[in-house]
Amino acid sequence: MKGSRPLALGLVLLAVIFAVASIFFFTVKTTFLAGGAHPAIHSKHAIVFAVLAVLSLIAANFARPKAAVR
Amino acid sequence: MLSAGLILFLAALQGITELFPVSSLGHAVVVPPLVGLHFRETDPAFVPVLTVLHLGTAGALLFLYRRDWVRIIVGFFRAAVRGRIDDPDQRLAIMLVVGTVPAGVVGLLLQDPLKTLFGDPRLASAFLIVNGGILFAAEMFRRRDERRRSVSEPGHAVLTHEDGDPQFARIEGLSLRTTLFVGIFQAGALLPGISRSGITMAAGLVAGLRHEEAARFSFLLATPIILAAGLLEVPALGTDSPTALVAIAAAIVAGLVAYASARFLLRYLRSGRLDPFAYYCAALGAAGLVLIH
Repeated sequence: MKGSRPLALGLVLLAVIFAVASIFFFTVKTTFLAGGAHPAIHSKHAIVFAVLAVLSLIAANFARPKAAVR
Repeated sequence: MLSAGLILFLAALQGITELFPVSSLGHAVVVPPLVGLHFRETDPAFVPVLTVLHLGTAGALLFLYRRDWVRIIVGFFRAAVRGRIDDPDQRLAIMLVVGTVPAGVVGLLLQDPLKTLFGDPRLASAFLIVNGGILFAAEMFRRRDERRRSVSEPGHAVLTHEDGDPQFARIEGLSLRTTLFVGIFQAGALLPGISRSGITMAAGLVAGLRHEEAARFSFLLATPIILAAGLLEVPALGTDSPTALVAIAAAIVAGLVAYASARFLLRYLRSGRLDPFAYYCAALGAAGLVLIH
């Protein structure tokens, strides 16, 4: 698969967004995307977004242009 | 609070139905009222108990494919660091990630409304009938594909289903796009009555896998998502609750029964098809709709 710098950068940006979301759900009491009658810390959402951030970085590593192997 | 007897019954049921394409969650919701076991579906311990049982069955799958999982995990880290896929194990690892993410994200976003749906036996009964239809449709598609191949390739009139038969696809040969579609289908199994193993096996058959290979793919795909769901829900059970202690014992029962079920199913699918499971799901769903009020 040929690398693509814009795709790789986009995936890094996505990873940053997921990381911010993870920190948000770990630290802020909310019902956003989580439901519930009262705002609360949603650690499960935080963990999942953290995993998505890591996976996005891995995907960016796949997408980045690589030097030709001799 | 759920009784120990009910939890152990659900454990045995879980062990059998988790890997068979008949919806373990659908059975857990439909069968107890059919046989006269009454419990509060809104019991806060209901979903976490089922989740702990899932951990038992996930443990069985990890043990069943322990050598594969070692290669898959090593392959994942190698592929992740290098940023490329160099061998079939690395490819399979990336495929499992691609196939798991859709169901994981959908499950997370819809977990609250799905928790409400989990406890409705009549809804689960209706989805069991749909599950039967999915299995039957996949087999009809497979039979039509096999007839088409036997006509176009007279030298291969009989498909032997043998391991390595070149007329069938292998898991590692599936495209990432196909794997993504299978993963999206797996998200549909979050509905009670729709079988995760059934829907992924059906997708595997449509993609050209042998029955046994489709089951292997289904079991490999199921393992990370069942593990993740279980690990995330265990804290909700409470370490000082009697229900938690019984549930852990039940998880062991579910694991042992699931291992035996998986071995049986893999042997059966060397020559068998999914039709009996389709008829069974339709019949159980119909019984639930008629008898549960």
